[in-house]
Amino acid sequence: MDLIQLQRQLVDYRTSLYHEGFLDEQFTQLQSLQDENNPDFVVEVVSLFFEDSERLLNELSKALEQQIIDFKRMDAQVHQLKGSSSSIGAHRVQKLCIVFRNYCEAHNVEGCLKCLQQVKHEYGIIKTKLESMFQLEQQILNAGGSIPV
Amino acid sequence: MNKATNVGIAGVGTTKYSDHMVVAPSLFLAVTTIPYLSQISYVGLEGLFFSYYIDGNQTLSTYANSSFSSRKKHVWYKQPVDNQTGKLYGEPVTSHSFNVVNTSWFQVALNHSWGYSSLENGWNNGGEPLFLTSVSLLGKGVIAMGVPVKRLTDRLGGIINLYGGSLSLVTMDGKLLLNGIPNTKFIYANGTIFLQFMWPNGFKNFPCSNDTPETYKLDIDGKEYNVRCSTVEISGVQSVCYPNYSFFLVFAVFAASSINEFWFSVIPLVFFVSSMITNAQREICLHDKLIKQMEATQQAERKSMNKSLALVGASHDIRAALAGITGFIDLCLANAAPGSDFETYLKQMSLCAQDLLGLLNSILDTSKIEAGMMNLEEQEFNLADLIEHVVDLYHPVGMIKGVDVVLDPCDGSIIKLSQVKGDRGKLVQILSNILSNAVKYTVEGHVCVRAWVGKPDFETKILASTRKGLGKYMSSLFSGKNDGNSDIKAVSAVRQNRDSVEIVFEVDDTGKGIPKEKQKSVFENYVQVKETAAGQVGTGLGLGIVQSLVRLMGGEIGIVDKEFGEKGTCFRFNVFLTAFEIQGDAMYGGTNSSFAIRNCSPKLGICTPSPKLDGSQVVLFMQNIERRRVSQKFLESLGISVLVVDHCHHFPSALKKIQSKLNSLLNSSRRSDMSCRSDISSSSSKEMPLSAMEGTEHKLPFNRRKDTPSFILLVIDVNAESFSELWRVVAEFRRGLHSTCCKVIWLDKPTSPCIDPKRLNPDDEILLQPFHGSRLHRVIKLLSEFGNLSQGLSSSSESSKHPYGKTRLRHTQCNDEIQGYVSSSNERYSKQGSSSPTLEPTRGRLKSKRKNKDGAESSNGEKPLIGKRILIAEDNKMLSILAITTATQLGADVEHCENGNEAFELVCDGLKAQRNYDYILMDCEMLPMNGYEATRRIRIEEERYGVRIPIIALTAHTSGTEAMEAGMDAHLNKPLKTNELIEVIESIETKE
Repeated sequence: MDLIQLQRQLVDYRTSLYHEGFLDEQFTQLQSLQDENNPDFVVEVVSLFFEDSERLLNELSKALEQQIIDFKRMDAQVHQLKGSSSSIGAHRVQKLCIVFRNYCEAHNVEGCLKCLQQVKHEYGIIKTKLESMFQLEQQILNAGGSIPV
Repeated sequence: MNKATNVGIAGVGTTKYSDHMVVAPSLFLAVTTIPYLSQISYVGLEGLFFSYYIDGNQTLSTYANSSFSSRKKHVWYKQPVDNQTGKLYGEPVTSHSFNVVNTSWFQVALNHSWGYSSLENGWNNGGEPLFLTSVSLLGKGVIAMGVPVKRLTDRLGGIINLYGGSLSLVTMDGKLLLNGIPNTKFIYANGTIFLQFMWPNGFKNFPCSNDTPETYKLDIDGKEYNVRCSTVEISGVQSVCYPNYSFFLVFAVFAASSINEFWFSVIPLVFFVSSMITNAQREICLHDKLIKQMEATQQAERKSMNKSLALVGASHDIRAALAGITGFIDLCLANAAPGSDFETYLKQMSLCAQDLLGLLNSILDTSKIEAGMMNLEEQEFNLADLIEHVVDLYHPVGMIKGVDVVLDPCDGSIIKLSQVKGDRGKLVQILSNILSNAVKYTVEGHVCVRAWVGKPDFETKILASTRKGLGKYMSSLFSGKNDGNSDIKAVSAVRQNRDSVEIVFEVDDTGKGIPKEKQKSVFENYVQVKETAAGQVGTGLGLGIVQSLVRLMGGEIGIVDKEFGEKGTCFRFNVFLTAFEIQGDAMYGGTNSSFAIRNCSPKLGICTPSPKLDGSQVVLFMQNIERRRVSQKFLESLGISVLVVDHCHHFPSALKKIQSKLNSLLNSSRRSDMSCRSDISSSSSKEMPLSAMEGTEHKLPFNRRKDTPSFILLVIDVNAESFSELWRVVAEFRRGLHSTCCKVIWLDKPTSPCIDPKRLNPDDEILLQPFHGSRLHRVIKLLSEFGNLSQGLSSSSESSKHPYGKTRLRHTQCNDEIQGYVSSSNERYSKQGSSSPTLEPTRGRLKSKRKNKDGAESSNGEKPLIGKRILIAEDNKMLSILAITTATQLGADVEHCENGNEAFELVCDGLKAQRNYDYILMDCEMLPMNGYEATRRIRIEEERYGVRIPIIALTAHTSGTEAMEAGMDAHLNKPLKTNELIEVIESIETKE
């Protein structure tokens, strides 16, 4: 594919992510921290986010299957998830976490289950989106181009 | 009583112990509200028994927790009661039990729908006799209320004047209540009461009849007595709430020595009984209402408090969303093609968003004040500049409507005060709000702003008078809030400060005014006076906020009564500021020293007018009556001879008058051969740089100054008359003058300049309205007494301390710049806004944020944190990478650890090696040791070394109070942002 076309595609894609609220300015902040000394910074941080989130989501699912649900622990886990999602600017996940925490505080099992489902869904989306974005970036780099800001 | 009934019924049917709690409050209400009542009991057939009674000074309760049906077991407990709440405290004690159910009063009351009154013994230790009124609750229980007999007899014995007679009271069944008649006793036999008089030599019985009162005459030892028996119905407390079905009969026996006085004795007793009843009735109602009202008030206060807190809580989110919108608009703006429609729309959107933010801020301010979270941010500023700045902001707004906004310097005390310390932003907010209201609601005339320094003795008076109000306000504001206390302390500290000065402000308009009856309510939130508000928009929050802010600054705001027939409203408020530096006479300092020698008024530095015409003559020709009055008053207070011309056709004649006067004087003493211009320029251009006035007096050529010829200054408002006409008059006047120096200041509108600068004399100046404040001072400095700077206004302004000078006054040649004055000055204000962020809270904040954003972008190269050692304690891997990278990119040397323990150890190592961290970024929630604990330990440890490392908290919460309490210096929200980090570090550095 033409390099310019790729670059345009990336810009459009990224804009759409912001536009649809998948990402917020924190992601911009993250990108601004990436420089020559640290060329893979964003990818590194985002992969950490994936690791973190998957671990937390698994723990949460397990916690909800238990006979006696430890809501306090769950609340702490959702809090962590919220923290890491806000750190990379995963806006929708972060928003859901706020709702999730309210359900945890209210000890509402139904709400928690529903929320967990939604968080998983949103997480899946943002993961795919980010991965395809990184792929696109990689393609551009491979083609010898630079990532448009 | 209805309440008691209802609750009582609710309690019937169950015998749980907790039922006491249902009955108790109603009983307690009754015992505290019904006068004279000393005992109240609820006896339920189901076995519940609960009673309050007063024994001496203490309220006690007696209750039985077992059912009456199992009588053998039933035990009575006695327990003391809190007089305020009715709650029981202490250990219950088993007490003597009464078999209540078997008593006749209980049975009678239970089986009749009306109440029953009887004389019984109370529960208290002495078993004091009571008038007991009992009433049945639908046959399932009985409420009994007792009034002590002693209460009645005390009053009868002590208060009522029997006019030499005596009184005894006895019940129908022969129980003696009061025996006032000496040597008598009562005998009860066969349902009749006999009064027995006893002499040493015998006795005599008189029957007391139920039906007909009888009078007996007695002759004892030569004295004649009238004895009369009559029945008295004491219906007791019962009659207060229930119809008088049953009466409790008592015989009253009077013995009086003369017939005439007998009648007096009867009336008071009747009166006593009836007045007791009505009083009791009224008092119960009042007590009951008061209690309900208090409850409602407390509830309302709680609700309002919660609402305020919720609003503050929501503030962050709303602000964030709005900031997001403005941010994105800015982003779009950057991409928009310049000059396109798109750009215009975006700009409009941006303006709307700003407005919205302003509105939001005003609402949030209110909630913040209400929640007691508003604090004063003190800084040093020039008060005179601030006032002028605010007034000037509203001057153009007023000019459009034809309303002149005038700044009245009053006694000049503000100018002398110069530098003060206080919350500049809030003062601007207060002034702007009142002023904008005044301008908004004034259709014609003027708005006058006055400010002066309060007299010290007056100050204490105000202090004393407002302290009460303030305290009241504070306590209601911060009721139940701990952090409010510090604010109160802060405020009182402001007041107690010895350097604190009281500044009084008045904003006086000629608008429609506020009706007297509404004057109080304008300070309430959400209130707008409807009659005057037609077509005006606003939240109605303004004055409420203003009042709170004024009180926060230790002052009070109110509306000053105007003379009858005067239009408009006059708001007056006072605030307390710290006088930072009293510059004796900053404005006229230089001339003061020189002038003092001439006029010997060193104290004020402001001269008194000299009798001869060697001073200056100022001619004021202005359209607005108020501005004319204010300017004249101020100039005259400085000892300047002022001629005021109010109408254009008086102008030429006034000038002629001066001319002839001048010429005659000059002709008589023609010794001044030099032109004033050269004289003044030589003296002033060399020796009078304003900025260095203090040290120049010795250089002044006194001898020459003596000969300074009189100087005429014309201040002409061009709006009064067509420019060409005025110019013609002035030109004619000039021709008539000989050597006298004459200077003309043309006052022009900033919005629509109508002066043709080409026609002006090179000496003349154009000054833009409004003619007050620094502009007025600049003009005063033109006068010889005040250090004439013949170089003109422009040069004086260059050398002036005043920041306004440079744009305010321009030489006539630079006409283009005059045209651009409005925009340039506005620009300047906005610049000022960003450098002093409190000037306009919203704008300032946004501006500074934006500035920092730019700063962060450009700092990629320069790295503001270079050479700084930063420790980052954060347990989340991802967040730590983020924080480390952020700090590293800013040039810092970063170390990382994963919990509070490690952080503490690292800091200790650093302290020992004398290689301290410059900053610590501390996550608050870490395991095993959290950030708060780590901070506390670090603070203790580092104290031994005499250092204090700034610790910045990283939290996911919006408020950093906990962090501050733990001893951290600042607080940042996660995730860490570059610009916020820089901002915080900058603020810490400036603090140090």
